[in-house]
Amino acid sequence: MPIVELQHVRKAYDTKIAVEDLSFCIEPGSMFGLLGPNGSGKTSSIRMMIGITVPDSGAISLFDQPFTRKSLHRVGYLPEERGLYKKMKVIDQLIFLGQLHGLDAATASRRAHEWCERVDITPAIHKKTEELSKGMQQKIQFVAALLHEPELIIMDEPFSGLDPVNATVLQDILVELRQAGRTVLFSTHRMDQVEKLCDNICLIHNGHLVLSGSMREIKAHYPRNRVEMVFEGDTGFLQHPSIEDAKLYSGRADIKLHTVDGVPPDAQPLLADAIRRGTRIIRFEVKEPTLEEIFIEKVTESANNGGGKVHA
Amino acid sequence: MHNIWLIAKREYLERVRTKAFILTTVLIPLLMGGGIIVSVVTQGRQTASSRIAVVSPDQQLVTDLQTELQNSNDAKITVDVISPGDSTTRATLDHMLADKQIDGYLWITPASAPGVRPTFSYTPRSASGGHLTESVLRSALRTVLMRERLAHQGMVASDVTALMQPVEVDTTQAGKNADTTSSFVTTAILFFLMYFVIMLYGMNVARSIIEEKTSRVFEVLLATITSEEIMAGKMIGVGAVGLTQVFIWLFTAILLTSTAIVQSMAGGNLHIALSAAEVIFFFVFFVLGFLLYASIAAALGAMTNSEQELQQLNMVLVLPLAACFFATGVVAANPNSALSVILSLIPFMTPLIMYLRISMVMPPIWQVALSIVLMLVTIYAVLWVASRIYRVGILMYGKKPSLPEILRWLKYS
Repeated sequence: MPIVELQHVRKAYDTKIAVEDLSFCIEPGSMFGLLGPNGSGKTSSIRMMIGITVPDSGAISLFDQPFTRKSLHRVGYLPEERGLYKKMKVIDQLIFLGQLHGLDAATASRRAHEWCERVDITPAIHKKTEELSKGMQQKIQFVAALLHEPELIIMDEPFSGLDPVNATVLQDILVELRQAGRTVLFSTHRMDQVEKLCDNICLIHNGHLVLSGSMREIKAHYPRNRVEMVFEGDTGFLQHPSIEDAKLYSGRADIKLHTVDGVPPDAQPLLADAIRRGTRIIRFEVKEPTLEEIFIEKVTESANNGGGKVHA
Repeated sequence: MHNIWLIAKREYLERVRTKAFILTTVLIPLLMGGGIIVSVVTQGRQTASSRIAVVSPDQQLVTDLQTELQNSNDAKITVDVISPGDSTTRATLDHMLADKQIDGYLWITPASAPGVRPTFSYTPRSASGGHLTESVLRSALRTVLMRERLAHQGMVASDVTALMQPVEVDTTQAGKNADTTSSFVTTAILFFLMYFVIMLYGMNVARSIIEEKTSRVFEVLLATITSEEIMAGKMIGVGAVGLTQVFIWLFTAILLTSTAIVQSMAGGNLHIALSAAEVIFFFVFFVLGFLLYASIAAALGAMTNSEQELQQLNMVLVLPLAACFFATGVVAANPNSALSVILSLIPFMTPLIMYLRISMVMPPIWQVALSIVLMLVTIYAVLWVASRIYRVGILMYGKKPSLPEILRWLKYS
């Protein structure tokens, strides 16, 4: 029973098509990453899921039933841009937003205090929003989305504009919520975050679905044809015939090996060659391509096919 | 309903707490009240120190006049009697005038023949200050002379007094058809109140919608509640702030006018006759008028992205309001003509025109009811349109929409 399901959703605005024939579903209790470069249709998709806009065609269901506004009380939403009243005190703001989600004032206030403690913004609780830093505001927005203990948490770019310390705090909270059985969907253009956090992903580009499925399956689909090397000394081994492409940084190289008929190549000869040349190896790791590499590959592939629909 | 209430409550509390609100609420009545008190005090001093001399060989006439003036309620005048005057009196009095010992003197030259009125000449100290005294003096003289004449005709003193009793007219009843000034005054007050509140708070509705758009709060709100609820909540919340302020002011004004000083200053001239029904209709039409114009302001706010753009559309609010004000003349001339009826049923004109008709001649009740229903329907329709524009407009920010685009938005969901 999927908690969110999109079927052949299409949304066009006056001048451009935002989303075209998009379908995916999100299983309860999973962490789902909606991925894509800027302007690819992530926000448009999310807005349709929470009823801010209505798809031109296709169907959206939440909690295994066609979309109704009633379901929204079970959803927590963090918009891409900060949406807070500038002149309102933090605590009043949180209570107000909690009440809009159906909490009573007392519960909203109690939970707001607990959460503020948790994300370390208690000292700012009686300040006006406009007096706070962007990161602080982001945390308040984050808390506001969680006050009513939603079953489904939808976050549009939750980590943008945060320093690593605060980003980690919020990441940990999301992981914890997922472990507590909530479903989390977040969008990002940062592939590395998704690789670390998500069970399932959906990759979109120019409003089209490029790739979707569980992280593990997608990765398994690709051969272990990448080598990450950290070394000192001679770089002559980069001429080795098993290498299809290589990027050389200072003391480090990202290498892609030739794949023959989908069979993962053997990296041993390359290592042997490097050692023979007297290169000092600090690290030699054979791995699957990163999500970013998969994405770039997919997008170039689709561009070569005339920019049409891509089947993963 | 709960959501509308929450939005309205937030809007109300946030606004009422601002310094600007507290300042305007307190300062404006203070300024008005201060002005009134200053004028009362300055005027009061002049009447209190009024002291005049009356010169006449006719002892009886002068004493009567003295009693009449000193019993007068309108002004406090002390009268020095000089009877009879001699050749040096005028010079002495002129001297006293210059020394500011008296405020003026009345010189009565006896009649040359019986049955002819004596001649009166009043010399005030300054041309400007003697106005009130002079009019009081004139009416006192008329009373005294008339009483004297009546007594001459052989009428008994008590009959004369009874006859001279001022006539009381119950204006609340009698003024209805005859006296259009009071209708005009209340309609004008309604107009200015509405104009003021609509300009200030109607525009605030629009502004608060624009603010939500620029701060992107709408996205969080729309994720839980509908744009119709946001619109209605804003209008009610901001409107309640305006009403709070107006009621505070009206209350202060009533307090001020009911105090003795102001009453004494205004005399009987500022008497406004209002029946209970008129008071109720005043508030009904004021509130409905505000809601209607505020809903248009909400639509304007939904269409625009910045204060500057809003200013350009300002006219949309002012023009219908100004049109009603000009129509008042036509309606007042003939409140029950077909034109007046039609004008009073146009929702944008109803608040002022229908109120004017009610305050002049009570129109048929179905017309009043119809006008109120029409207004409510219009408010609902305008809000519905506004919320559509809002919903779609916020997602297409950046450029100003053209009219065909707005019409297309109405079809979107």
